[in-house]
Amino acid sequence: MTLHLPNQRSQHWKDALPGLLNQESSAPVELDCGEWSLNCSDWQQLLQLLNTMGRQLRWIRSRNPLTVVSAAALGLDAHLEGNCEPTAAGSDEPDGLLIHQGTLRSGDHLQCDGDVLIYGDVNPGARVSAGGDVMVWGRLRGIAHAGCHGSTTARIVALHLRPVQLRISTAVARGPEDQPLDGLTEQARLDQGAIVIEPAETRRFR
Amino acid sequence: MSTTRTILICSGKGGVGKTTTTANLGIALARSGASTVVLDADFGLRNLDLLLGLENRIVYTAQEVLAESCRLEQALVKHKQEPNLALLPAGNPRMLEWLTPKDMQAIVALLEEQFDYVLIDCPAGIEDGFKNAAAAAREALVITTPEVAAVRDADRVIGLLNTQGISPVQLVLNRVRPKMMSSQEMLSVDDVTDILALPLLGLVFEDEQVIVSTNRGEPLTLSDGNSPAARAYSNIAGRLQGEEIPLLDPAKMRRGLRAKMRELMQTKIF
Ligand SMILES: Nc1ncnc2c1ncn2[C@@H]1O[C@H](COP(=O)(O)OP(=O)(O)O)[C@@H](O)[C@H]1O
Ligand SMILES: [Mg+2]
Repeated sequence: MTLHLPNQRSQHWKDALPGLLNQESSAPVELDCGEWSLNCSDWQQLLQLLNTMGRQLRWIRSRNPLTVVSAAALGLDAHLEGNCEPTAAGSDEPDGLLIHQGTLRSGDHLQCDGDVLIYGDVNPGARVSAGGDVMVWGRLRGIAHAGCHGSTTARIVALHLRPVQLRISTAVARGPEDQPLDGLTEQARLDQGAIVIEPAETRRFR
Repeated sequence: MSTTRTILICSGKGGVGKTTTTANLGIALARSGASTVVLDADFGLRNLDLLLGLENRIVYTAQEVLAESCRLEQALVKHKQEPNLALLPAGNPRMLEWLTPKDMQAIVALLEEQFDYVLIDCPAGIEDGFKNAAAAAREALVITTPEVAAVRDADRVIGLLNTQGISPVQLVLNRVRPKMMSSQEMLSVDDVTDILALPLLGLVFEDEQVIVSTNRGEPLTLSDGNSPAARAYSNIAGRLQGEEIPLLDPAKMRRGLRAKMRELMQTKIF
């Protein structure tokens, strides 16, 4: 049986969860998070709550891509559901291209809904998230999230692709540890739900 | 507009050598004839006065000057051996609240009327203390050590300095250990400049004389001693004033005597 977190407008999940857990049997929990946006520290609190009630989490369903990403980052089995793939099928129109000139430094977080082109480096400790593609004309050494609203066709391309972490849609991967060949531009894309890194395709972006 | 160079000495991470650099650079600049004041903006953990051996001579701070309960001349502490150098504490440790960006600008404006160089010793972190200290700066020196965490924090600070229009921002790499660098146990100079992408103003080696001088309250650049760090700080002062002084390359430091001999043979001295 599945537990449903309450509607955001009616009650906070933190208040509702203990009650929900009490009603249930001791079986592993299947959790439907609805629209809630839960970050990693929310998940940690939630897991701790489950733990103190002696319950296990089997899997997670959510309509919010960010929730799925943070759950996946913690190694939980999370699934995105619903009509949340705005750019997935048939839309050739990008939401526009944002060009950012200059290096993103530690602590910076650049966000946009369409594609983003960074003319500079993304340093360790910096983040970039885009609804569409992330392109870095420079070195990517921080965290990049492409398709952050759920698009599974988004790509991450960088002249030097050695990020701390990569995210595409709801998938999460750690960056490769070996150094890339000099002069080899690489890309990351989703292949059957998993992030793969390969030499960049030369075809035009979407 | 004044021609005074008002330079923020900052790092993000604590304990990487901001205060040591401020004291040594202050002395070196003063020795070269430039009238210099060091402003201790890290007054919560005030120790620039200790390093300069001036602790027992502080009576007033910038706070009293701004409150007009004393004149600037009364608050400035002249250095004993180096009359071109003065120290001004921004506040005292019990007064953590008073300093605002406006206060900082007001006090620096007063200092710029009579000094060639204003060096501001910045507190660690990126919160209010840092922002206040940076409020009146025109340029900055970012101090870091070749450690991942220090470089990460320096990078954050550089991002903030860039948004405040402070320029130029230059880099000092402190506590360099050539041995550890060449055995790759420590980030290399290139690793650091690669990420921070700033002009490198100087390298300072790890040098126990720094600690000895700190405890004595006599910055290394004060004596004629020739320790590696003393030379490094003098060179930084020189470069800051536009002199062309080549940088040491720690990668070459470790080549033993034999390599040096070979080099000499090639230059046909023998
Ligand atoms: N090049 C160096 N070699 C050896 N010790 C150093 C060096 N630079 C700084 N130190 C030591 O590191 C400590 C922290 O330096 P300090 O200048 O007070 O840092 P900060 O002002 O950035 O907090 C001091 O004990 C100082 O003596
Ligand atoms: Mg200090």
